[in-house]
Amino acid sequence: MSLLHLCQWLSATPAGTAMRESPWIYSLIESIHVLGITALAGTAAVLDLRLLGVTMRREQVSQVVELITPIAWFGAAIMFGSGLLLFWAKAENCYANPAFRLKLLLLLLAASNPLVFHLTTYRSVASWENATEPPPRAKVAGILSLVLWSGIIVAGRAIAYYH
Amino acid sequence: MSPLHTLFRWLGHTTIGVAMARSTWGFPLIEMAHLIGLAGLGGTILIVDLLLLGFGPGRLSPSHVARELRPLFVASLTVMMVSGVLLVSAEALKCYYNPAFRAKMALLFLAIAISYAIHRNLSRPGADDRPTVWLKTAAILSLILWLCVGAAGRLIGLV
Repeated sequence: MSLLHLCQWLSATPAGTAMRESPWIYSLIESIHVLGITALAGTAAVLDLRLLGVTMRREQVSQVVELITPIAWFGAAIMFGSGLLLFWAKAENCYANPAFRLKLLLLLLAASNPLVFHLTTYRSVASWENATEPPPRAKVAGILSLVLWSGIIVAGRAIAYYH
Repeated sequence: MSPLHTLFRWLGHTTIGVAMARSTWGFPLIEMAHLIGLAGLGGTILIVDLLLLGFGPGRLSPSHVARELRPLFVASLTVMMVSGVLLVSAEALKCYYNPAFRAKMALLFLAIAISYAIHRNLSRPGADDRPTVWLKTAAILSLILWLCVGAAGRLIGLV
């Protein structure tokens, strides 16, 4: 079975059909999805701007990380759960949708960014976290995150315009 | 004709309103800016309100964080307002008669008022101590109100 067949089968299941054909259920899941992205991208943006020395300059970077991490994970869980349901309902359409493909790619990059950051630059956080201007590598991670998450929001909104 | 009706009719007939209504990509592009503004706004609101409710590292003071995040809060709100007016201009009278839009504007007014009250209260001297019951109640109210603003916003396209 090819990936396309799998997507066709998924959106044709009774649950997929029910979600797709009820404008209220679909819109409700969509709203919850936007809320999850807001919690994740919005709090990540605060850390990104701290890394760029724009906001929360007086707080230690590790404190900001500790502050946003639970909210960001909570948002990520909501985003993934609701995103899976939205995909389930329109899997066949998503398969060929260029905006959806771009969003998945950006999401993969956006998820790798903090992973790399935590495994490399963040390890030495104790030596630079009091600096209002973090090292260039931390700034790059911040800019990447801001650009990628803006791209995810733009691509996500564009999915509906390719339907 | 109420003055508000006149205002909305005028907005729809401005050069920008006509251009927004005619353009294919104008509305989606401004909508994307509106959503990016939402992420910034939602992030700062969640952080300040949850800190007031006792979530987050104990060493961070809600009043410090609120003060430091205020420019981001105001900038995001400005992006949302400017893009919001542009979106409305594309279908101004339709919005004027839309019950979800009216509800959203009323809720938005209340949500901004409560956020303003929270920030004001946190700016007073001595606000670094533990948040008062009043502030905690205001934080819960703020979370609920901003959530309702978002829900009403989604409803505009459905009713």
